[in-house]
Amino acid sequence: MTTPMLEIRNLHARIEDREILKGVNLIVPAGQVHAVMGRNGSGKSTLSYVLAGKEDYEVTEGEVLLDGESILELDPAERASKGLFLAFQYPIEIPGVATMTFLKAAINSQRKARGEGELSTPDFMRAVKDAGRDLHIDADMLKRALNVGFSGGEKKRAEILQMALLKPKMCVLDETDSGLDIDALKVVSEGVNALRGPGRAMLVITHYQRLLNHIVPDLVHVFSDGRVVESGGKELALELEAKGYAGFDEQPTSGAAA
Amino acid sequence: MSIHTPVRIGPAEVKLIEQLGARGATAAAERLSVVGLPTRKVESYHYTDLKMLLRSVPELADATKAISEPALRIPGAHRIPMTNGVADLDGAEPQGLRSAMVPGSSLSERDDLLVRLNMALAAKTLKLEINGDVGSVIHIDRRTEGDAGHMNDSVHLFVADGGKVTVIETFSGTDEAHLSNHASYVAVGKDAEVTHILLDLSAAQATNFASAEYHVAAGAKIRTVTIHAGSVLSRINLFARFEGEGAHGDFTGLNLVTEGQHSDITLELNHAVPRCSSKPLFKQIARGRSVAAFQGKIIVARDAQKTDAKLMMQGLMLSDEAQILSKPELEIFADDVVCGHGSTVGALDDDHMFYLSSRGIPQAEAEAMLVRGFLEEVLDPIADEALHEALEGVVVQWLQGTK
Repeated sequence: MTTPMLEIRNLHARIEDREILKGVNLIVPAGQVHAVMGRNGSGKSTLSYVLAGKEDYEVTEGEVLLDGESILELDPAERASKGLFLAFQYPIEIPGVATMTFLKAAINSQRKARGEGELSTPDFMRAVKDAGRDLHIDADMLKRALNVGFSGGEKKRAEILQMALLKPKMCVLDETDSGLDIDALKVVSEGVNALRGPGRAMLVITHYQRLLNHIVPDLVHVFSDGRVVESGGKELALELEAKGYAGFDEQPTSGAAA
Repeated sequence: MSIHTPVRIGPAEVKLIEQLGARGATAAAERLSVVGLPTRKVESYHYTDLKMLLRSVPELADATKAISEPALRIPGAHRIPMTNGVADLDGAEPQGLRSAMVPGSSLSERDDLLVRLNMALAAKTLKLEINGDVGSVIHIDRRTEGDAGHMNDSVHLFVADGGKVTVIETFSGTDEAHLSNHASYVAVGKDAEVTHILLDLSAAQATNFASAEYHVAAGAKIRTVTIHAGSVLSRINLFARFEGEGAHGDFTGLNLVTEGQHSDITLELNHAVPRCSSKPLFKQIARGRSVAAFQGKIIVARDAQKTDAKLMMQGLMLSDEAQILSKPELEIFADDVVCGHGSTVGALDDDHMFYLSSRGIPQAEAEAMLVRGFLEEVLDPIADEALHEALEGVVVQWLQGTK
């Protein structure tokens, strides 16, 4: 069996004294898109933060392997350079830092960490222009401070733009559909779909089934009370939409089938 | 009833009294011998107790030649070197500028020690007259040279009605433990547009004092940027006064304070006439064991109706041992005005740091980006590109700890 792109083994994590992840098991093979669905407060967003390495959470047990390599000891920047990308549910506004400056710093930091040379300014400009075109991101938006004054749709498109430019191996999309109207949802989904490919895996975290009409997953995992309780094909998402999450609460399974 | 207790006079005061006496400033010497250096009981020196902080005063500096390198090079700027108070006026002047050395200090009389010292001890003033739009930036390169010395110098900038100019004055010098006390007098004519920058890049052992007066006529626009990025002990007085209606002032500053330093910027802004607006914005960053202090007082006179003034201080702590102090004050005697003040201090935002690092930007670089972002609001409005870039460079050097 080939090495999965992401493997989460019995992951437990807490914030202060509250345990939020209670034994997550999940495998995402390269080239696949998996969805994680669950109600509010089930720990979905925590999972995304723990994967990205946010300091507020303490991992008490378990292991996370990215392309076969353990990442829990790495800081967020190192994880990013190894190819992990988190599209934030609420992208952070950073006054005073121009979007272009930020993009260039991010790309070149990652290249440097991987021992690659810096991207020249013309190459960088071209890459941004190309990636921005499909996402309807114009030069004007990129001149503004990072996410400051961006609409909900602009913020999510900017996240996908970053994903396109950074070319991660493993993308974690946290509630990328929240705050999007139907047109914006289409643009963002098309952007995500364009990035699907054999060398890349995605974990799409969502509350609603509607995103999965646009980004069709290979596998759906149901998340409840800090663990995966059910896994299945994309029809599982429809079942959830019809019946709600209640039916899944009392039947924890022993991890996910991959 | 108050009982007069004579203050204890320390070695710094003894030296200053002697120097004032030698220059014939009997009244100033007498006064200093009675009241001593200002302590924190003097409201305007509340955070900067000079009796505690100024332990010694070097001998009065003599006229000498420039030895140090210019602390800042601004491509395209007209640089006027000024060494121990004497300007070198040889170079060809850009159109609209006339300069000369005139006797005495440029400052107006005021109850402030630094002002009194400069008025008594600055022998000459560099006087610049601006007519029309001076295309190039004027850089007055004020340096304290030679062995450790007590140096008082003075500049008078007169901008005629309708004039337009950007002037930067830098303070620097040799690596000695100088005591420099600079004066600047800026008269902004009707409808003139002036950007005036004071930048302290003095050496690590130096003490740097400065007092700047701004007199703003009707319809004029002034932007001031006061930057501390050098000297172990610094106090900069800014005295600004709106003297004609419809003028606007952006009084801004960056107080960058590092290990072992104490730097104080104190603004007194007087809205003496109606219908003027002002937006003082000062940002302070402190790291290591250091003290950054800002005092900002806006006085709105009884007649100064329709004044619109908003004072803001934002502080960024980069260490737990640093102190950022702030005292905004409003004294409003008019009844139809919009005035406000605010003051915030914090550390770098964890969410900002996480977002940047989640994109692969290492911690040190992410911090530097956020700090530059924090300061950008002050530097951004500086229109001249070369000057803007030079000041960005000062900030970057400071962040990297090389200045």
